[in-house]
Amino acid sequence: MSKEAIETAIQERVALIAAAESVPLAADSGARIARAVAPTLSRLAGVTLAFEIEPSSYVVVACGEIRE
Amino acid sequence: MTELTAFTLAEIASAIRARKTSSVEVTRALLARIETWQPALNAFVRLEGEEALAVAAAADAALASGRSSGALHGVPLAHKDMYYVAGKLAECGSKVRKGFVAPATSTALAHLEKAGTIRLGALHMSEFAYGPTGHNVHLGPARNPWDPTRITGGSSSGSGAAVAARLVYAALGSDTGGSIRLPAHFCGVTGLKPTYGRVSRANAMPLSFSLDSVGPLARTAEDCALIMDEIAGPDPLDATTAQAPPWDALKTEQASNFTIGIPSAFYTDNLDEDVASTFENALSALRELGVKLVSIKLPDQSAINAAALIVLAVEATSAHAPWLRTRADDYGPQVRARLENGLAFSGLEYLEALRWRAPALAEHLAAIGDVDAIIAPVANSAAPTIAETDVGAGAGAELAIQKITRFMRLANYLGLPSLALPAGFSKANLPIGIQLIGRPFGDERLIALGRAFQAATDYHRKIPSNP
Repeated sequence: MSKEAIETAIQERVALIAAAESVPLAADSGARIARAVAPTLSRLAGVTLAFEIEPSSYVVVACGEIRE
Repeated sequence: MTELTAFTLAEIASAIRARKTSSVEVTRALLARIETWQPALNAFVRLEGEEALAVAAAADAALASGRSSGALHGVPLAHKDMYYVAGKLAECGSKVRKGFVAPATSTALAHLEKAGTIRLGALHMSEFAYGPTGHNVHLGPARNPWDPTRITGGSSSGSGAAVAARLVYAALGSDTGGSIRLPAHFCGVTGLKPTYGRVSRANAMPLSFSLDSVGPLARTAEDCALIMDEIAGPDPLDATTAQAPPWDALKTEQASNFTIGIPSAFYTDNLDEDVASTFENALSALRELGVKLVSIKLPDQSAINAAALIVLAVEATSAHAPWLRTRADDYGPQVRARLENGLAFSGLEYLEALRWRAPALAEHLAAIGDVDAIIAPVANSAAPTIAETDVGAGAGAELAIQKITRFMRLANYLGLPSLALPAGFSKANLPIGIQLIGRPFGDERLIALGRAFQAATDYHRKIPSNP
């Protein structure tokens, strides 16, 4: 997807979520938000996750470091 | 400066306990210094001087009759204005919570009060802790004691400024994306972002519940350990602390027992000259102490930063959604814009960012091997000016914020402890720090390393000149 296409998709999504959540947005907010967050979304796009992983799996890994 | 205000927390607590000075004397000395500095710094949002003096007098009377509350008996402190005290204001640097009276006391503050500390007032912060510079459109910016035209860093802006100017011996901050470590770096103090789950967040203002950490800013690593002695540990009011081991600061350990990893990239890219030379000098100091230094290659840090930003954005927006619906105009423009950014992420993206924490932490631990900590700069420059970092709410603001917080997100996303220490000064006489990022629940080893570093250096002893 081109940068423009990604930003357009984000703008459309923001408009939908803001409407669903009843959050008022200025007319130009969608474009601003899309430009601000598009790089973040693209940086995480390559991450793949194992089927069994859940958010609390993190606690298991972190607590494995607790030393007696 | 009076000598009393120049003491460390450890020294003043000991002096009060031994009745070499009194809590009232100490409180008066701090109040006098606050009167001198506050107009220049804007570090306090509320001062409770008379109340503090009354509590100090009671503390002195108790000590005279042989009763001590605890290790910090009679020591005045002040904290970021997001720690609730039952019946007191906690306005969180905001208009939205203007006049909010807390219904309960935060667990961390309750522990500090039980240890005998006295509350001097509440400290400046970025609006809802959602900003890394110390700007605040409602309160005006906090100002750096080393140069009041420059930022303190945020969001624990008042905590950094007040500890650096010797207005308090220590202060609680909070760190969701660098909010303890950035003010420590820019103001020249020591700050510990503890392991996630090590300190209760109960009845402290939330920003991002998966990332928020409560921790101290103080004058030394030893002083941070004293605060952690009181606040660390399990709390039934905060389930994330259920696994927290007892705090056990290592009092003495040979520096030669420690190994530090030096990242081969990312944390050493594009540093300004002053930060680069400070970083190299810190490595030399550690090497001379006998610390083993090894090169390490970390996984992709830009992906970790991105995941942290997604978690932060969605959780902050979720917490603020009720006010965004009804009181959006009461937010400052930049905070409102950042909260609106959270509307851009799907539930799938948010959960993927949360689920990735476990494999990302495992990958990080595999990359660092057996090292006790990795060393990194806190920011790529000393404190910039308030004017040049006043980036507003436009599309470029988020990128400017990400530039300042570039080296921060690893510790927050992976829940790692990180100790920021003064390590030098720029050519313009502005403080520069380093951070030691530890292993999960390895906070005490960071303290031990910090103590060793500060025994061999004197940057933490430097005090800014009176305004």
